[in-house]
Amino acid sequence: MSKKELLSKIGLRLDGRRAHELRRIRCKLGVFTEPDGSAYMEQGLTKVLAAVYGPHQVRGSKSKAQHDNVVINCQFSMAVFSTTDRKKRPRGDRKSTELSMHLQQALESVIKTELYPWSQIDVYVEVLHADGGIYPACVNAATLALIDAGIPLKEYVCACTASLANNDVPMVDISHQEEVLGGPTLTIAALPMSGKIVLMEMSQRFHLDHLDKVMNKALQGCKDIRRILDEAVRLHVRDVGSATGWALAT
Amino acid sequence: MSLCEAEKTFVLHGVEENLRIDGRDREQYRPMELETDVVSHAFGSARLRLANTDVLVAVKIEVDAPFPDRPTEGKLEFFVDCSANATPDFEGRGGEELAAEISNCLSSAYSSSLSFDLTKLCIVKGRKCWKLYVDILILECGGNLFDAISIAVKVALWNTQVPKVRCIDMDGNTVDINVCQDMFECQRLDVENAPVMVTVCKIGDKCIVDPNAAEEQCSVGSVVVAVSGNRLSTVLQTGMGSLHPLTLVECLKMGHKVGKKLDEAVKEILEKSPKGGDVGFLN
Amino acid sequence: MSQKFHIRLASQRVNTSIAENQRYPKIFTPGETITKQNEFMRGHGTYEDNGELKSSVAGVREQVNNLISVKPLKSRYNGEVGDIVVGRITEVQQKRWKVDTNARLDSILLLSSVNLPGGELRRRSVEDEHMMRQYLQEGDLISAEVQSVHSDGTLSLHTRSLRYGKLGQGVLLKVFPSLIQRSKTHFHNLPVGASVILGNNGFIWICPIINNSEDSVGGFVQNLEEKVPRQERESIGRIRNCIQALAMCKMMIYDTSILYAYEESLKYSIVELLVPEAMVDIAILTQHRLSMIEV
Repeated sequence: MSKKELLSKIGLRLDGRRAHELRRIRCKLGVFTEPDGSAYMEQGLTKVLAAVYGPHQVRGSKSKAQHDNVVINCQFSMAVFSTTDRKKRPRGDRKSTELSMHLQQALESVIKTELYPWSQIDVYVEVLHADGGIYPACVNAATLALIDAGIPLKEYVCACTASLANNDVPMVDISHQEEVLGGPTLTIAALPMSGKIVLMEMSQRFHLDHLDKVMNKALQGCKDIRRILDEAVRLHVRDVGSATGWALAT
Repeated sequence: MSLCEAEKTFVLHGVEENLRIDGRDREQYRPMELETDVVSHAFGSARLRLANTDVLVAVKIEVDAPFPDRPTEGKLEFFVDCSANATPDFEGRGGEELAAEISNCLSSAYSSSLSFDLTKLCIVKGRKCWKLYVDILILECGGNLFDAISIAVKVALWNTQVPKVRCIDMDGNTVDINVCQDMFECQRLDVENAPVMVTVCKIGDKCIVDPNAAEEQCSVGSVVVAVSGNRLSTVLQTGMGSLHPLTLVECLKMGHKVGKKLDEAVKEILEKSPKGGDVGFLN
Repeated sequence: MSQKFHIRLASQRVNTSIAENQRYPKIFTPGETITKQNEFMRGHGTYEDNGELKSSVAGVREQVNNLISVKPLKSRYNGEVGDIVVGRITEVQQKRWKVDTNARLDSILLLSSVNLPGGELRRRSVEDEHMMRQYLQEGDLISAEVQSVHSDGTLSLHTRSLRYGKLGQGVLLKVFPSLIQRSKTHFHNLPVGASVILGNNGFIWICPIINNSEDSVGGFVQNLEEKVPRQERESIGRIRNCIQALAMCKMMIYDTSILYAYEESLKYSIVELLVPEAMVDIAILTQHRLSMIEV
């Protein structure tokens, strides 16, 4: 079978990474002026923009408002030029709705919802370029945007994909090429500091014996991503805070 | 965002005095920022930032059969997507009306062969032609969308590289096209006369160009003029007011004058060959 | 680059971060432990988990006696009693108006909390309810003070002073609330020919000089026919652009910083101030001057 090996004999993947290496992550907070919080995230070639509006008064039907929690409204959308084959509709199809719900699930677990009764937080995610790992990139970008908006979170929520190569070796952060070549993909959204898993999803199948090591690989990936995001947030706060002369500090 | 009467009065008097609230005069544009090659696997792309307005355009190419009544012409299709990032009102299907208006305006502006020559996109007469998909993503909305989008589309088309056709096999009824794989062997599109739109707003007795969000609220009626070369390519009236014919002519003249200057400025900046790179959103 | 158009390439983009290289305080990010001792009280931006006090936003720690809180860089306006705000009326309801103040819930202005025109002091009658639209309509701008904060976080405003009320001709600017310093006065009559109201909620109102001796009874009278002279218009435009420059470079906005920025900006024409290079230039010069005072 002339199938490309996901992991070569010397341990290199299709794009030259090792099994435990993440793709290059670059991110920036506060890219737009209109939303309350915004962030741009690049994971490898996948590019995602996230914008957060709120908390603000509940729009539309007042019946949506909850007396003890904030309503979180997510929308996931992919630009029509984000995939190699042009997409017909940016959102409204089943996959987008499903991803919006998953995003909401991940964020609801980490936002301190009890602080904002009767309010609504809108989170909008736009995928500019899709190259595997779209859901994790969206979750990571949304976390950054929420931090930029000053919305209290329990901690970071990070997401990562993992897969199994050669039926044996777990790999982390799957690119589109590796996805298409047929390995099973496990997506995990987790709270890295407390180790809790918020969302887990899998495609294809592999034996139950391998589940533990693939899951651990993904959790480790989440922890690494958290470290990178944290570094970026600190840099941003330092830059902006210095400009305001740290008038915030007593 | 609605304004109160007092704010509107202030804006109105400012326009009369030729000193708008941010110091511009009636025919001045806000500073713009341009970038190309932002979308990696599109054939051409551009991003334009006009103060608060942010627009991203990508061009993709496909091989398609031409329309039966126009066998020598290629196809050009516009799609506008209002991202919810711009304002929560665009969530779900909220932005569809605005998107439809803009894409219709673009289609009619580019429909004349004098503004954009579709015959250059023909491969085999009557059988195969190139179809260009121009996809526009509105990321942030700060007033004056039509202008920003038209400039971004013009630059994206300028940036587009259409692959050269190496050879064509005609086997009875089927046509096989062999396209050059080399990235550098491509042809560029002629966007010399591609239309540039200018939004002219009537506030009080005078007209202004490039309204910001507050000025758009104050205007009685506005006209979008697409200027291509020396001609007007399309005219669209937006907003809920009605215009006196004399005022309309005045707006058209102003739009034409400003449009030509804007066109020149865009061409000037294109000559500097903007190269894309890792700037994007990161800096 | 012709006179009328200014188009730049993104590669020539200007960096708006003007942070000085100084020592910076410890930054806390969500989920990070602040302290393990439980003798402290929890303030905003913190939460308790397993006996440890953890931060829930990214920011700098503030400590007042026993109360620890973490203040984020940017957030929606959190009202406190006594704050001055500038707001826009969004709805006219039965005995009150709903005001948008960039907070997480719409603020409320009760009919009983406004001064009646003519300065009368009487109980509000049914006729007053019908006349509410004549006082304040949807879209009107008001300056008010926060009277109280309800349990769910809604702010209750009042305009029971001659200084507050409906705003007349002028320009409204929106910046992030954290850029406005809390100070004793928020109404400033700048010596350069305009007045500025710095609302704590991030809404800034710039208008021609307010003459306190005028009959601004309850502030409901607006002068719509009067044309603002060109001189004042220029000052207003310049101040607006200066504040935009300060906001873009994330500097604190108060009367001194606005004045310095104004003086530094005189070497540019008002329109040139819209260009990012000019904005960063005056922000850096202003920061420099401000740091020299503190020395």
